[in-house]
Amino acid sequence: MTDRPHDDHLVMRDILVSFNGFHAIEGFNFAVGRGELRCLIGPNGAGKTTALDLICGKIKVTAGNILFKGKSLNKLEEHQIAQAGIGRKFQVPSVFKELTMRENLEVAYCKSNSVLANAFRFGHRSEDDSFEKLAELVGLQDALDRSAGELSHGQTQWLEIALLLAQDPELILMDEPTAGMTHHETQKTAKLFNRLKGNHTLIVVEHDMGFVKEIGDVISVMHQGKMLAQGSVSEIEQNAAVKDAYLGSGGISGA
Amino acid sequence: MSRRTLIQLCVYGAVCLAILLVPTFVDNAFILNKYGRYLVFGILAIALSLSWGYTGILNLGQATCFGLGSYCMAMALKLRTVPVHTGSEGLPDFMVWNNVETLPWFWVPFHSLSFALIAGIAVPVLFAMLLGWFMFRGRITGVYVAIITLATMVVVNLLIIDQQRFTGGFNGITDLAQLEIMGFTFDAYGRSSYYLIAGTLTVCLFFALAVTKSKTGLIMQAIRDNEGRVRYFGYDVAFYKIFAFSVSAGIAGVAGMLYTIVMEFASPTFLGVSLSLSVVIWCAVGGRQSLLGAMLGAIFVTGMQGALSESEAFLDTWMLIMGFVFVLVVLLLPKGLAGAVEMLVDRLFKHEKPQSERTALSQAASQTGPAQ
Ligand SMILES: Nc1ncnc2c1ncn2[C@@H]1O[C@H](COP(=O)(O)OP(=O)(O)O)[C@@H](O)[C@H]1O
Ligand SMILES: [Mg+2]
Repeated sequence: MTDRPHDDHLVMRDILVSFNGFHAIEGFNFAVGRGELRCLIGPNGAGKTTALDLICGKIKVTAGNILFKGKSLNKLEEHQIAQAGIGRKFQVPSVFKELTMRENLEVAYCKSNSVLANAFRFGHRSEDDSFEKLAELVGLQDALDRSAGELSHGQTQWLEIALLLAQDPELILMDEPTAGMTHHETQKTAKLFNRLKGNHTLIVVEHDMGFVKEIGDVISVMHQGKMLAQGSVSEIEQNAAVKDAYLGSGGISGA
Repeated sequence: MSRRTLIQLCVYGAVCLAILLVPTFVDNAFILNKYGRYLVFGILAIALSLSWGYTGILNLGQATCFGLGSYCMAMALKLRTVPVHTGSEGLPDFMVWNNVETLPWFWVPFHSLSFALIAGIAVPVLFAMLLGWFMFRGRITGVYVAIITLATMVVVNLLIIDQQRFTGGFNGITDLAQLEIMGFTFDAYGRSSYYLIAGTLTVCLFFALAVTKSKTGLIMQAIRDNEGRVRYFGYDVAFYKIFAFSVSAGIAGVAGMLYTIVMEFASPTFLGVSLSLSVVIWCAVGGRQSLLGAMLGAIFVTGMQGALSESEAFLDTWMLIMGFVFVLVVLLLPKGLAGAVEMLVDRLFKHEKPQSERTALSQAASQTGPAQ
């Protein structure tokens, strides 16, 4: 790994995750610089989702250390990690189905965690048009007052992306954001991500190599819980170990 | 404020006004007392709607806090009984019978009515905070919460029965004085008590409405919907649940205090399993995700229960009929009567504005402005 402690927004060191003795992640090292857009790829079961789970606090490391802006996340609870500036989009889109899209955005826009402060907060932020703009950005401007449960799978993906934009975290974790999207929508997502990078640090888990080529500068490849390779798109495509890892799953470009 | 919120406020206000106007048409003391009791149950249903309907915490021990409030009020009123009912030095009669010689320390502050009124809310709230802390910090959810709250209620109930010397045991605390505040007496069978209850109900209803309309209320609903997801937006879910649980407990405590006033006694049955389960039924029938629905559900079901059990024709079958109504509502109207009414209103609304695409079943509380 590179030796730039001051540039590294997120560092994962010698991570071990054991699920009842099964080492889903072992000897894993990873670092992302501030403002970078990093693609994380790897065959099914490589441990990509588990890696994101570790960062956002859904599961805890068995051994090793995760540093965000130089501070350890190991002892923090999920909401504290979120407050520290990390947001997550889940592989299975996860929104509030019984609430309207506007209410979803309102929840995501977390200004204060305090129960009592929020008990006296009535003015909805929706009174300015920031939510309208966000909805327009993800193409859901007509759905703001519909309940999220009515949205299609693709729209729900977009909604969750919009929720992350409303949350506005420094580090955004995306787990397969384009799953279920049309080619056109995937391109739109690529554009959006390219706009986000720089202001935000992004870690994007993705299967679609076409998409990865459009957004990724540096690609990290995971295999069987370890970091297999890291480099530019062309470097990765040439890499023999990566080719081996993808053998049998239709090759690296085979979605 | 959106148009829907405005309409909602008007409807809530109109219902409260109607309730407050009842004594102008009803003069019978017995009936007023009965209606007062129904309204108390309405307040209890509002409390459960907050925790169950809005936050998804199925509290099967809602009557615990109701009972605690009720006992606080009973203790204060017992100490005010005219001397003829009370032992030497103002010792409550049941203590004399149980050979208690001095007033226990925790009874002493109840000489002050203000203390009792505060305790009637504070004791349930503290109790709920403690239990909530234990459950929600430990991330206990779903059916386990239901079991723990139910079990806790049984324990408190047994404790009260067991400590007969201090609590009156099985008989509860009877023979109470009437509540008197600043020289004004609230007669259990008079208009005064009815107005007290109806006024408190109005305050509780609008207070609960304000909670649900706040950002905290929105997060409560988000927790009900998808608890795990809320955490990743930076909210400490446990604290929000403890908050909802405690506010609900406080309202239940208020209801309990009022119940002592209309019933003129406090009894361990107030912390009973059957009352707790009844509250769940009222909320389910009226619509747990609507405060007004839950409240009216309680009034409607208890009212119907009262009417059926009093009429000779249904003397044997009223339980059966109530069960049937409950099953029907739960099967046909998953969001209760309030959900059905809203579906109708939304249909009409849709009729006017065909381009509006709101869900028919979207719940009363999550209403925002009409679709543009
Ligand atoms: N909670 C869990 N318990 C046991 N095994 C798990 C758990 N979560 C993930 N795994 C295993 O860890 C490995 C990595 O999974 P995952 O991170 O979901 O892979 P992917 O790279 O496809 O996202 C898989 O073999 C999976 O079966
Ligand atoms: Mg995965």
